[in-house]
Order: sequence, then C-alpha cells, then structure tokens
Amino acid sequence: MSAPTAELLEAAPDHGHHQTVENNFLGLPNIKLAMWAFLGSECMFFGSLIGTYFFYHDHSLGGPLPQDVFSLNITSISTFLLLTSSLTMALAVDSMKQNRFPPAVKYILTTAALGAAFVGFQIYEFSEFVLEKHLTPQTSLFGSTFFIMTGFHGAHVTVGVIWLLMMAALISKKKLVPGREATNVEVMGLYWHFVDIVWIVIFTFVYLLEFIK
Amino acid sequence: MSHAHTEDQAQSAPHSHKKHYLIIAAILTVVTGIELGIPFLKNVPSIWVPFQPVWVPLLLLLSVGKFGAVVGEFMHLRQDRSIFKILFISPLALALLCLTTVTLMSIVHFEPFGKGYAATAVDLRNGYTPPSDGPKCDPPLPDDQFKAAYAKAEGAGFETGKKIFGEKCVACHGPAGGGMPNLGLNLTDTCYKYGGTFKDLYQTVALGRADGRMPSQAAALKSEEIRQVAYFVRSLRGKNVPGGQPCVGEPAKD
Repeated sequence: MSAPTAELLEAAPDHGHHQTVENNFLGLPNIKLAMWAFLGSECMFFGSLIGTYFFYHDHSLGGPLPQDVFSLNITSISTFLLLTSSLTMALAVDSMKQNRFPPAVKYILTTAALGAAFVGFQIYEFSEFVLEKHLTPQTSLFGSTFFIMTGFHGAHVTVGVIWLLMMAALISKKKLVPGREATNVEVMGLYWHFVDIVWIVIFTFVYLLEFIK
Repeated sequence: MSHAHTEDQAQSAPHSHKKHYLIIAAILTVVTGIELGIPFLKNVPSIWVPFQPVWVPLLLLLSVGKFGAVVGEFMHLRQDRSIFKILFISPLALALLCLTTVTLMSIVHFEPFGKGYAATAVDLRNGYTPPSDGPKCDPPLPDDQFKAAYAKAEGAGFETGKKIFGEKCVACHGPAGGGMPNLGLNLTDTCYKYGGTFKDLYQTVALGRADGRMPSQAAALKSEEIRQVAYFVRSLRGKNVPGGQPCVGEPAKD
C-alpha cells in the first residue's frame, strides 16, 4: 500500500499530456506491473491458507465443528456486500478514465462503505464464534485454520478500506499527480477486486460446501 | 450508446463501460443467488437425491465462473497486456496445484503425527470405528490373566509401558502423569473418570474417550503394547505426583 501512495505524492512535472504515467521499459505503468506481481504472490499466500484449512479442518479433536457455527445468512449478506463493492469500484475506475472525478469519489466512498460493512459483519461473526459458540483459534485445528484464513482476508479488506478513504481524500483535494490519477485508482481497484475474488473462493469452498455435504 | 454521442465527448476521454459493468454485476448476483439456493434444495429430496453427484462440481464450476468474470472483466485482465496475465496466472496455477494436492492428501490419508490414527470429532459423530486396514485390538483379557501379566510387567519395571507412555501420552497427561489443565486427567490420584480396572484402562487406551480428545490408539499400537501402557498407568495409582490436576470421577473400586 505504501508504495503506490508514495508514488502518487511524488512531485512530477506536468507535460500537459493526458494520462502521463511513469513508464518502465515495457511501456507500462510501474505501479500496475507491481500490483499484478503482488497479486500473483497473494494467490500463493491465500492458496496456502485455504489449503491448510482444507487439510486440517476435518481433523479437530473436539467440537464445535463447521456445521455447528457457520451461518448462511450472515455470510450471504457479506458476499453480496463485497460483490456490490466490486461493481462500484469498477465504476469508479471507469469514471476516472473519463476524467470525471466527482462521481469517481462518490463511487470510491461507496466502495469503502460496503467494505467497512463487510468488516463489521466479520467482527460480528468472529465475536459470535468466540463468545457464544466457544470456537477460538486455540480450540481446535478447525478454529486455528479458520481464524487465520478469514482473519487475513478481513485484514486485507480493512487495508483496502483505508486505501479507498485516503484515495478519495487525495482526489478531492487534488493532491494526485496530474495525469496519473486514473492509473492510481485502477491499481487500487485491482487490489480491491482481488480481495473480492478471495472471498468468492472462501465463500464457496469453506462455507457453502459445508452446507451441501 | 450511439456512435455520434461518443464523438461528441472530449476526444481524450474513452467512452464509458458502465453498462457492461452493470451487466457483469447482475450476472454475478444471479450466480451467487443460484449458489445460495443449492443448500436449500436439500429440503426437496426428489431433486436433491437423484442429482446428488452434481451439486459439488456445480458449485465449484459456478465459483470458478465468478472468479473468471471478476478477474477478466472488472480487473480487465482479459483485454490487458499479456505480461499481466503471466504475472497473475502462473502463481495462481501454482497455488491451485498446491491446493489440489493438499486436498487430495487430506482425503486419501491423514497421518500428521506419524503412524497412527486419532479419532476426530467428525469420525465420532459419524460413528467411529478404527480403520479396517490397521491392526485390530484383542478384547480385554480376563481379570486373573491381567493380574498375572501385571506382576510380570512390574518385574520388568514397566519398561515397555513407560516408554510408550513417554511417546504417546505425556503431551496431555504430563511427564509424570499428573495431568494438564484442559487436557489429560491426573493418572496418579486414586479416582477415575472412565474406570480404573485393568479392563477399563485397556479400553480407554485402545478405543479413546471424551469424544476422541483422548485419542484411540487401536491403530497405532499392538494389543500387547496397549496392555503394557495399561499396566504402567495402573502402577501410577496413588503416587499423587506434585502439581497434579484435581481428582475427577469415582474412586477406584478394585
């Protein structure tokens, strides 16, 4: 997160061209290239967390078990929240590319609100698991692997929300390097959509599969 | 959107893809709705049962479709430069390979702590039986034979039982058998939650107790080894090691 932020705060001469971006030798924006490389590594990161969950969650030595704690209602709401936030994020990038900044800020703030709501539901879910259903990371292999996996995803969403809010403020105060605004928002969008696809996988493989076994 | 309208706009501004994104989002919502509907089909056995093998692959397919739609359309990867595709798809393939391997390993066999199979909560809920390919336990010996064998083991200083106890039991019951909070019970007092006779001790070690939190050793140990552990545990009675856990269960009757 810090790298693109530093990038956009960096002073650069405005040559008056539209969509001036810092290019690398491939003629592509450096931050976009870096973000795709980072997301590739994130695939492996979440792949290993989800793999660990699959390997261990069936081998707890005691309850509660997934089917005792999972609630399809809360998870469905979270899923729709994140899915909608991906749409608003895409619309924000679309507006930025047309140099229409005020609607873009509106879409970015909506995305942030939806993301924050998702985190809120996750906090609610976690506290219910711990306080009422007595599932903690120390309880069992299911508890450990579940909280590590979903907790890291929630942390990613939280980072994304902070990034979105910062970006909205920077656009409103015209603090972005002229010509690079759209690329900055696009790169943030890539991160946000990635967080959404991780949830698509967790939602199906971790939650829904439990209900159709 | 008419062509003329696009030309009216500033030349530098690309035309909006709003409509396209709305269509993708609508499709994603519908697919998620279908996914959510699948668990509820359980209530309709006439549909659920005949198509039983279809549900899991269908769910995976829908999920992969959603994944592809978000990456390809929202993240533009489908129409973007191939360097981005390489950067993203090759680690993704690696992650999927790893995920598939691990999942298959977990389905085929699970031996995280070496030889042996601890009954899990899932197994017990589904009616646990020790794995059929593992060594079977003999039924417990009659009491008099046990007593004679105990005397013999005592003569050997409970060597075998002590060794196995040190490998398999100390993690929960403590190095001296005094138990640990929320884990194993104290074995050095004079009361037993699951009975203190030779037969009880043998069955506790062989079949496990407390929903598998005391795991079955039926597959990990030979019947004779289980007997030796039972003799050693029996010899701990009344030693009352310092720092032991409080007594749980009934005083020993034998």
